[in-house]
Amino acid sequence: MKKTIKYILAGILFAPLFFITSCNKDINDINKINPNEFSDSDPKLMITGAQLANVMLNEGEAARLAGIFAGQFTGYDRQYISYGQYNMTSGDFNSPWEELYSKGVGQCKLVRAKAITANDKVLEGVAMITEANLLLTTSSLWGDVPSSQACVEGINTPVYDKMSVVYTYCIGLLDSAIARVGTSNKYATAYAGTFTWKEVANTLKARALLHKKDYAGAIAAATDGVSAGNDFHAKHETAAPGAWNIYYDFLDWNRSGYMSCEGSHMFALLDSASTKNKRNAKTDETARFDYYFLLDNYSPVDPNMYGGIFDAQANFALASYNENQLILAECYARTSNDAKALEHLNKVRKAHDDKFGPGAYSDYVSTDAQVSDNAKLLKEILTEKYVSLFGQVEAFNDIRRTKNLIGIPINNGTTLPGRFLYPQSEINSNPNTPAPGTLFDAVELFK
Amino acid sequence: MKRKLLSFLFVWMISILTVWSQNRTVTGLVTDGSEPIIGATVAVKGSTTGTTTDENGKFSINIPEAGATLKIRFLGMTVKEIVVDQNSPTTGLNITLVKDPLMLDEVRVTAIGEQKSLRKIGYSTSQIQGKSVASSGESGVIQGLSGKVSNLAITKNSGDPGAGAFIQIRGQSTITGNLQPLIVIDGVPMSNSSIGGGVDGVVQQSRLNDINPEDIANVEVLKGAAAAAVWGTRASNGVIIVTTKRGSRSSKKNNINVEVSSSLALDFINKEYEKQGTYGQGTGGKWKANAGGSWGDKIALRSGADSLNLSGPKFVAENGTVYNPILKKGDNKEYNTANRDQVFRTGVTYNNNISISSGNEKSAIYFNLSDWNQQGILNGNSDYRRTTGRLNYTHNLNDKFKFSLNTFLSKIFSNRIQQGSNLDGLYLGYLRTAPDFNNTDYIGTYYNAAGIPVFNSHRGYRNYMGSAAPTYNNPGWTLNKQTNTSDVTRVIITPEASWEWAKKSILTVRTGYDISNDRRITYFPYLSAASASNGAFTDQFLKQSEISFHAYNKNSFEVNKDLSINTTVGFLYTNRSYYTIGGSASQFILNNQDRNAFINYTTANMNPFNSVENLENNRVYGIADIDYQDKVFLQLTAASEAASTFKGRFYYPSATLAYEFTKDILQNNKVLSYGKLRASAGLVGVEPPAYIWNTNYINSSSASGWGETLDGSQFGGSIYRSSIQGNPNIKPEQKTEFEIGTDLKFLKNRIGLSATYYQNKTTGAIFAVDVPASSGFTSKWDNAATISNRGWEAELNFKVIDNSKLTLSVYGNVSSNKNNVDDISGVNSIFLAGFTGTSSRAVAGQALGVFWGGKWETNADGSFALDGNGFKKAAATEGVLGDPNAKYRAGIGSVISWKGFDVNILFETSQGGQMWAGTYGVLNNFGVTPETANEVTVTADEAATIKNYRGQTISQLATANTDGSYTIRGNIADYGGGKVLLDESWYTGLGGGFGSVSQDYIRDASWFRLRELSVNYKLPKAVLSKLHIPGASVGFTGRNLLLWTEFPGVDPELNLTGTSNGRGLDYFTNPGTKSLIFSLKLNF
Repeated sequence: MKKTIKYILAGILFAPLFFITSCNKDINDINKINPNEFSDSDPKLMITGAQLANVMLNEGEAARLAGIFAGQFTGYDRQYISYGQYNMTSGDFNSPWEELYSKGVGQCKLVRAKAITANDKVLEGVAMITEANLLLTTSSLWGDVPSSQACVEGINTPVYDKMSVVYTYCIGLLDSAIARVGTSNKYATAYAGTFTWKEVANTLKARALLHKKDYAGAIAAATDGVSAGNDFHAKHETAAPGAWNIYYDFLDWNRSGYMSCEGSHMFALLDSASTKNKRNAKTDETARFDYYFLLDNYSPVDPNMYGGIFDAQANFALASYNENQLILAECYARTSNDAKALEHLNKVRKAHDDKFGPGAYSDYVSTDAQVSDNAKLLKEILTEKYVSLFGQVEAFNDIRRTKNLIGIPINNGTTLPGRFLYPQSEINSNPNTPAPGTLFDAVELFK
Repeated sequence: MKRKLLSFLFVWMISILTVWSQNRTVTGLVTDGSEPIIGATVAVKGSTTGTTTDENGKFSINIPEAGATLKIRFLGMTVKEIVVDQNSPTTGLNITLVKDPLMLDEVRVTAIGEQKSLRKIGYSTSQIQGKSVASSGESGVIQGLSGKVSNLAITKNSGDPGAGAFIQIRGQSTITGNLQPLIVIDGVPMSNSSIGGGVDGVVQQSRLNDINPEDIANVEVLKGAAAAAVWGTRASNGVIIVTTKRGSRSSKKNNINVEVSSSLALDFINKEYEKQGTYGQGTGGKWKANAGGSWGDKIALRSGADSLNLSGPKFVAENGTVYNPILKKGDNKEYNTANRDQVFRTGVTYNNNISISSGNEKSAIYFNLSDWNQQGILNGNSDYRRTTGRLNYTHNLNDKFKFSLNTFLSKIFSNRIQQGSNLDGLYLGYLRTAPDFNNTDYIGTYYNAAGIPVFNSHRGYRNYMGSAAPTYNNPGWTLNKQTNTSDVTRVIITPEASWEWAKKSILTVRTGYDISNDRRITYFPYLSAASASNGAFTDQFLKQSEISFHAYNKNSFEVNKDLSINTTVGFLYTNRSYYTIGGSASQFILNNQDRNAFINYTTANMNPFNSVENLENNRVYGIADIDYQDKVFLQLTAASEAASTFKGRFYYPSATLAYEFTKDILQNNKVLSYGKLRASAGLVGVEPPAYIWNTNYINSSSASGWGETLDGSQFGGSIYRSSIQGNPNIKPEQKTEFEIGTDLKFLKNRIGLSATYYQNKTTGAIFAVDVPASSGFTSKWDNAATISNRGWEAELNFKVIDNSKLTLSVYGNVSSNKNNVDDISGVNSIFLAGFTGTSSRAVAGQALGVFWGGKWETNADGSFALDGNGFKKAAATEGVLGDPNAKYRAGIGSVISWKGFDVNILFETSQGGQMWAGTYGVLNNFGVTPETANEVTVTADEAATIKNYRGQTISQLATANTDGSYTIRGNIADYGGGKVLLDESWYTGLGGGFGSVSQDYIRDASWFRLRELSVNYKLPKAVLSKLHIPGASVGFTGRNLLLWTEFPGVDPELNLTGTSNGRGLDYFTNPGTKSLIFSLKLNF
């Protein structure tokens, strides 16, 4: 009897023995490596991904929202109607923010480290330019954002740097990059154009200095900026999903009807039927109007996604000769050198004439009514920039930076949006995120 | 190596047990009066000697020379004692057992697939008979359990044929791990995956539906940690044990039963959206062609006929109807009914079964062939055909050796309909259609102004001329032109052998092989809406398999007359693998021929993909069942598991205790005839997902929430670091569960009541914790959450009338669960499923799955913050909006048997949960709900002050009536700043479903329904003998016949995101159904 109990207990007690004796080394090998993904990569392949994130930021949702707030587009259907009325919540900004940091800035920092190991100075410089391009756009839209602490291993909740600090950081990156890239145009798979990295870095630097109201610095940088015919473009040369123009993708492929130009300020500036239109004796906008807009009898005025500026295979300007010249023009005008300002404005008009002319745009002379004094000249320069940079974030920056000097109408209420809201995902997880504020608060440098 | 060692230890442990000596043999036969009883226990009282009867009911036992008392027991029978003294005959004892009137020995199936008396079970378990599952008329086994088991919530993914269901037992206890209970069929785990299913696409079938409900003998739902020992990291969400039918062994000649059954089911939509028929397509009160919304003019006030441009382009429909450009809208008809009739039909299902069961003294078989052929209620490519075959075979070689082999084959072909947030989806195009647009002619030839034709052009309300792909599909196109097929083959084989290799020591070895292949095709013809406008195609092949090997040894010891111990020691190995390969392509080369092949795409437009996953687990466990005085039953279990998904071993203990207190107190009580208290506690786990140890590098791709994408593979290939950070230290989630309960029987068992209180807590729940994107990652895998559930459940059965003519019993169950996310590592919220604007999330301090989205801004005193016109404003940050979890659920039903009639009525309810009325909100935006077509009349004074969202007064918007009052389309509301007009500007802005605030569209989703009403009539013998048929019955079942709910437009039992972890989302989900089923059953 007693014996039996003993054995039974022994039986139960022996169970743990199995546990100890079972080895489980081999079983863990099964899932050690993910067969569907890689364990590491080559920085030359990684940089393309970061560049695509840069394109997505400057051409995707952030650019569209900036364009709507700047009156270039109209929120026409569904959720975009609310956006057009400036009804935004923090969650609306999650996607662009997450993409730009995790797929953009984070990869740039990794590439920089790997490029140093590989002793590839050009690649390091290209990563710096990409990072600066990303962070400058980000900071211009959101103001104070993480920069030097962003995407650094071991820092889980980066601090938010003041906008001016972010700009200093980015200008530093651009200067370092200029010293590294020489005259190279390598590592630009995501981009199109005959640009050199050095010129691109200088134009980006000029843009940053313009935002900082450092006009002399901006002139110096822009002087070495993107030269005629050598624009820096996002590449969309294949007519296939995943490759084509992002605006096209949104306007036609994915979200037909959400966004139009119906009733937009942009349309009014070019529409011959509008009282606001900027045509004059020396300016015929007919060809540009057709390039920008698509009119039919059925639907609202669409941005031209068939053969026009947002065609599936249209490359998208990220930094252009026109912008560079208009930075120069504005800086000279701001420093009371109207003659130089006009000279650079006319260079842009010439470039447009080459594209949309001949005869569409002839040179202004200082006595022309549009540019007859410094204030008019400045407005003409900024209006031209607003029109030239259709769809680019910089148009929205100019509106805010100049306190709406060109006078775009306000869609709802009495104030134009001054910034993007911090994304809900960042508020959720980073205690350093500044207080949310409202969409109408101005960012530090544009106050 | 491990296995060898294990077997050795088995043998060693068992062999050291002693065997006592005997010295006199008694033989006999045990019967129930007519048939021999197989497997009855014959024991010598007061000793450990015992045996069981063989397949002829015969036994042979040694007793002491001086004589003994034999104790004969069999489940469900009264125990009998027979004294055998020196003078008694020792051969040919005839022992008859009678049925236990208390019928307490209900038998239940345990986690390993063994039978156990319910009396001895110390945890909560519910059993449903197969008959009840089959008669429910559901194609899936689990859907047939709805309302019949407490705390088992079943949410259908949609009413599509063969659609899966989300099963939740006692609330949700994990975030990203497998949320579904483990399904074990005949002792081996079975895949119940529903791969696919997000906010768009089609509702894929659930692999759970592959099984034929007619094959089911019974289903056992184990809710707590009871299955911990055997199923370890897979048991955390409960285990559903399915036992299929077997033939019965018998010495009777001609022991063959043939059953032929056929049924016809008619399905109907069970809840529809109401649409307004007053205002036409357009905006600002004016008709506008191709406008999205129905904010146009009043249809009835139109002239009567459209004024057309007969010289421009034209669209010629298939039936010859010509459509010309409309110069002025004059047609004053509304087409809501025509458009509805285009979409719905009566679904028809034919279900035919033939089963043969037979057996001789040594073997038994069950054989079934079935064919389920269903056409869904959606009037197009919506069908489901399942053909199954099963052969279950058991063979007893002799007393010691038993073999069985269960084989199952299933072939399923189905067509699905696109749904959800999807411009090519059915409800999206159908419900948004303006009431003055007729969808009937959806396909035809478009001729441009120059007369050049485009064949197979697609016409819809957003492109009435069919000049290009419409913004949304015409429902006719979605239903008839797009194809989404699934072609499944599934085989499950379960060989099993058991060997009583020593006295009372039985070794069972069971292996299972479950493999399924699925080929899925998704095809969008040229001119489908949106991104499929140039055609799109996906061809995907999926293969899933699970191999299991399970060996266990059972021993029973009778220590003395008061104490007996049964032990089980086992080893279980499982391997699951998943493989998929396929490709997607878009942009046809040739537009006008439908081919499910990649020949029609350029290289740049093709995207191949594949993926593999392989998981392995091994587990050793021990179970000790200790019975004391046949009234206290203690079960202790321990298990250890290793798995490919986590490092090291994980240990699970559990203990359950049952105490039949009526053996000690309240004996022979007139009211309480039986009482048991039970308690159980245990630890189970959830294994981590595979491949989350490392931070990986992936193909680069940048996208926005709207779908635009930049794909690195289009730019020469780019591989960069994933945004999800891996975690090498991941451990299984641990769920501790505790429950106490009681099983009571009253009035000679006429009333049975079972009640349980439980609580459980999951610690280290795994999810990809949101980290600030500014850190370079968007999320990191971690054991980061703590989730708890507590609640109670009760089941009741009351035989109100029980006599030879009539039996009437009432049954019911009620349950309540409270879920709480205790901690999610400081993160505000975790996205589970849904949309950017409204989602189902995990939020600390809230129930799992709460709705999250934009809210109204409020002042400190709780009132709404208002804009200058008196309208509510959106708050800058999002927050919690509601809770999809029901406060309680209940089912109540009645079974009546009278003169060959069997009637079953079952009502079910779910109370207190909420749901996001995403569809309704968006339909408000489009002005197609009756709410938005309301008209209000105000005085001239009011008209001068009441403003719309844009700040325009009613007097500015409308013209005065003759009496000076104003009538205008819209609703009057007051948000605290005086009356305001809710009109187009409000509904298309902040107040509609596309506004950034979804708070107003979180609605009560409580429901009450007549889940089942069935009547079965067994034809009387007198009739049958004339027909020369031994048995026949006819039946009728009504499923979901009545539904009461406040939720707008759709059955709140559905969920857009299916079996994902997000709950309570409705967004153009395909509708639910109700069914009428007529059946005929013949027995030979």
